[in-house]
Amino acid sequence: MSDLILQLDTIIKNFGAIEALRGISFAVKRGEVVALLGDNGAGKSTLVKIISGGLQPTSGRVMFDGAERHFASPAEAKAAGIETVYQDLSLCTNVDVVANFFMGREIVKRIFGIPILQERAMQAVVETAMANAGTRIPSMRTNVEHLSGGQRQAIELNRFVHWGGKLVLLDEPFAALGVEQTRRGLEMIKRIAGQGIGVVIITHIMAQAFQVADRIVVIRQGQVAGNIERAKTSPDEVVRMITGEGFAQPVPAAGMAGT
Amino acid sequence: MMSSRRRDVIEFLLNNLVWLLLVAVLVVFSLTVPNYFQIGIFANIIEQSTYVGVIAIGLAICIIAGNMDLSVESVAALTAMVVGILFCSRGVGLGYSFSPEWLVVPISLAIALGVGAVIGALNGWLVVGLKMNAFIATLASYIWVRGLVVALSGGRSAQDLAPSLRVIGIQTVLNIPLTAWVAIACFAGFSFVMAKTPFGRHVTMIGGNPVATFRAGIKVDRLVVITFVLAGAIAGLAGWLLAIRSSGATANLGTGMLFNAFAAVVIGGVSLKGGIGRLPGVYAGVLLLSSIHTAINLMGLPAHYTQMILGGLVLAAVLLDTVKLSIRQRLA
Ligand SMILES: Nc1ncnc2c1ncn2[C@@H]1O[C@H](COP(=O)(O)OP(=O)(O)OP(=O)(O)O)[C@@H](O)[C@H]1O
Ligand SMILES: [Mg+2]
Repeated sequence: MSDLILQLDTIIKNFGAIEALRGISFAVKRGEVVALLGDNGAGKSTLVKIISGGLQPTSGRVMFDGAERHFASPAEAKAAGIETVYQDLSLCTNVDVVANFFMGREIVKRIFGIPILQERAMQAVVETAMANAGTRIPSMRTNVEHLSGGQRQAIELNRFVHWGGKLVLLDEPFAALGVEQTRRGLEMIKRIAGQGIGVVIITHIMAQAFQVADRIVVIRQGQVAGNIERAKTSPDEVVRMITGEGFAQPVPAAGMAGT
Repeated sequence: MMSSRRRDVIEFLLNNLVWLLLVAVLVVFSLTVPNYFQIGIFANIIEQSTYVGVIAIGLAICIIAGNMDLSVESVAALTAMVVGILFCSRGVGLGYSFSPEWLVVPISLAIALGVGAVIGALNGWLVVGLKMNAFIATLASYIWVRGLVVALSGGRSAQDLAPSLRVIGIQTVLNIPLTAWVAIACFAGFSFVMAKTPFGRHVTMIGGNPVATFRAGIKVDRLVVITFVLAGAIAGLAGWLLAIRSSGATANLGTGMLFNAFAAVVIGGVSLKGGIGRLPGVYAGVLLLSSIHTAINLMGLPAHYTQMILGGLVLAAVLLDTVKLSIRQRLA
């Protein structure tokens, strides 16, 4: 078993004439936390969507868990063990917390072959998960439209923690969280990585990246502008990579630095 | 911040408003309209609610999934005409029969459901496959399917339906016609499916946020097509019941049902923006409309008043939808 969970090889993505990604290559090890940094519009969200099956690359290869994979849909990526928290949250505000937590993976009991939702069992699971994460939500039966932005984001985070998988992609997961919730979230990420799960986290906050990441990958205008172990760099250097100032050395071609 | 108990009570009232309205209307009519308060009248209200009720189920499911199916009325008319042509012995009827004779019941039902499902599948393909706007695609179906009915029948009617089928139209259980029980059973069955099974849950969530459900690995496209197929098949059932009631079919059978069904769905609490609504409420909406129809008939008002009142009711229902939404937002 290779110690790499994810390898990207010259991923290119064009939206018509727009070249959103221009040959992205890097790798994520099992149990490693990679912080993906870059300015607005650099291509981070696009890359996450390609890994999670929501978009197809124009060209390039995605190696996941030792084999080349072409995920045609989020369902396939999820089935393979990739959990994603998207920048624009993926909740259905017209249904309650429990329904959102179990979206697409409901607990059912078959009676005469008809699957029946097991509401109590599901509620118990959600209550435990929320309590473990220290998230306070008045009732698991309130529709999500009544919840605050932070509570919504907490549902998404707890959801992926609960379902686990082999690789977790987080696109600005803490944007709506308070100080305490963010601290818990960062701890949660370390705990998950400790279980051997690979983590890719996108953030604009340098402090967060340095707190949680083992390695930092910088994307600039659709290309890898830096791929370096956290211990071997500094926030100032990373900022220079992001903005492109004093961008001296060329980036290693295959992007396998640190592997 | 409101106590969650008080909020639950208000939520409950908002969700079941249409039932309160129904009771209020029945009480007011019973007190004010002469001859209204009779078992026979109530049985009649339930009977009248059969056909509109059945097509409203499919329409409601489509709207809850965030779409629209305007073709249901024409689909019901088409299946009624197909059943009429195959199994009527006079008019355009070809008078096919089987031995034993009762086989005509399951066979005609299967044909009706099949014809409805095929049109539904076509609607689903237009909306999901070709990404057409559901309103436009099904409006087109509404028109061409009705045209097909006229073409098939040459504008003539089919009469004298096979005896085994006609018997179904005459039987009553507890004073209520068997056909009305079919509608009630459909409401019970589909209410259960929508509230208690993953299918219903997923359809509701798709109506709320199709992107989120897609990302969660739910097969959104497939489910949306299924809602259209269901709406078509259920409309086919309504057509089958219509053919039985009228012992045949005419080319203009069932015209106006779409608007009634639509009104019932909206009054019943299904939000046109999708993701919100329950089928029992829709049935209450249908009963409410029938109650009002009956009162107007008893009072001897001309039929066009019914239309005006109906139009007013739909406006009131949409207004109510908005008011409910703002109350809910204040609850948050
Ligand atoms: N569906 C699309 N169609 C056309 N262009 C797109 C599409 N999605 C993204 N883009 C473009 O691709 C580029 C990269 O966008 P992306 O959302 O990946 O950036 P990002 O790094 O996530 O930015 P942010 O930090 O603001 O979230 C942008 O120029 C964006 O306009
Ligand atoms: Mg982004």
